[in-house]
Amino acid sequence: MRAIDKNIAACPTCHNLVQMPFGKQKGYALCPRCDSEVYMRKSDAVQKTWALLLASIVFYIPANLLPMMHVITFAGTESDTIMSGVFYFISDKSYLIAFVIFTASIFVPILKILILIYLLISVQKRSCMHRQRRKKLYVLTEIIGRWSMVDVYVVGVMTALVHFAGLTEIKPGIGANFFLLVVILTMFAAMSFDPKLIWDIKECNENREQ
Amino acid sequence: MNPHYHVCHECDTLNKISTPNRPGRYKCANCSAKLYTYKPAMNERIYALNLAALFLFILTNYFPFLSFHVAGSVSHANFATSIIYLYRDHEWLLGTAILLTTIVFPLVRILIYIILFGSQFHNYLPRYATHMIKILNKLLPWGMLDVFFLAILVSIVKLVKMGTIIPGTSLWAFILMVFILAWSQSMYDPHQVWEHIGRRRKALQQKEKLATI
Repeated sequence: MRAIDKNIAACPTCHNLVQMPFGKQKGYALCPRCDSEVYMRKSDAVQKTWALLLASIVFYIPANLLPMMHVITFAGTESDTIMSGVFYFISDKSYLIAFVIFTASIFVPILKILILIYLLISVQKRSCMHRQRRKKLYVLTEIIGRWSMVDVYVVGVMTALVHFAGLTEIKPGIGANFFLLVVILTMFAAMSFDPKLIWDIKECNENREQ
Repeated sequence: MNPHYHVCHECDTLNKISTPNRPGRYKCANCSAKLYTYKPAMNERIYALNLAALFLFILTNYFPFLSFHVAGSVSHANFATSIIYLYRDHEWLLGTAILLTTIVFPLVRILIYIILFGSQFHNYLPRYATHMIKILNKLLPWGMLDVFFLAILVSIVKLVKMGTIIPGTSLWAFILMVFILAWSQSMYDPHQVWEHIGRRRKALQQKEKLATI
């Protein structure tokens, strides 16, 4: 038994069950316990997620091409992008650090963007395939999203520690800003998607019951 | 206690829970997503842990965090030093993001937990409890002290070849705080708080009804 069939929605804030006054998809009710607006589904979830996702894809390109940080020494300025940092650590034989940076700043954002595209397309095509797996993928994107911030923080900590005026200084590059935007936008995109849409397709539920 | 119903936030299944107040984890029957955990003595534990976290938060921001020695010259960094340097270099976006996610949001979260659970511990409910929990729900994914912890480990390994790194008092306080906050988060069960609020609200409404009669 699903809540939408009984015209019941759970309050997003306090999980109180609220009987919806109007039809299935329109309007909202006020939760009697906490006064939040209760919608049957997150409003315009698919459109909002697509918009945020496309914006984050656009920002992902300069985030990888432009330098993350500048190392300023008396010999000159050296700029590092994400990829050059990873290659530096591989050539330096610190494979663990290379792995952490690669996972957090290249693998995780791409994985997140691909998973969200897959979820959006499958919901729009009203697919019945792998619903349990898709739900797990969604939970995964919510959990791993924050960990991409590691690279932004590393730039911040390095600027604070390597600060010898005239000798060596590290300054953040413009790429770090774009990368920060990618992380924030993908987090918002994951939040605006509604996993209940995966289970909402009527034909799938009917087939299963037969 | 009567059986009550619980809608899964992942797949919208109505779950009937016959023993809602037995300690343990409750899962959705369809997709096995976690519905909620019921832990006894949640109030007291979260109150105590967050008081400890507040104390450690002050230590973290007061004492030196890390020192870095290279060829005779030294640079000291406090917890907030990176934010100050970022603002000095006019990196407003980066500076604000790090300020919010590592200092403001965690502090607000600790304070809300202390006010909310502390006053429940003393048997009363603060006036703006619903607003506080709403703010808390919005903030929780954006407080990123655990991510910052990983970033510090990565930067220490990065810098260790250039010079000597000396950890300060504040680093130990910070590490302890990260673990204490994670521990208190694992106990947080908003349903108990909401039931408390719901009961009080009903009582207030009945009082108003009596007053109008």
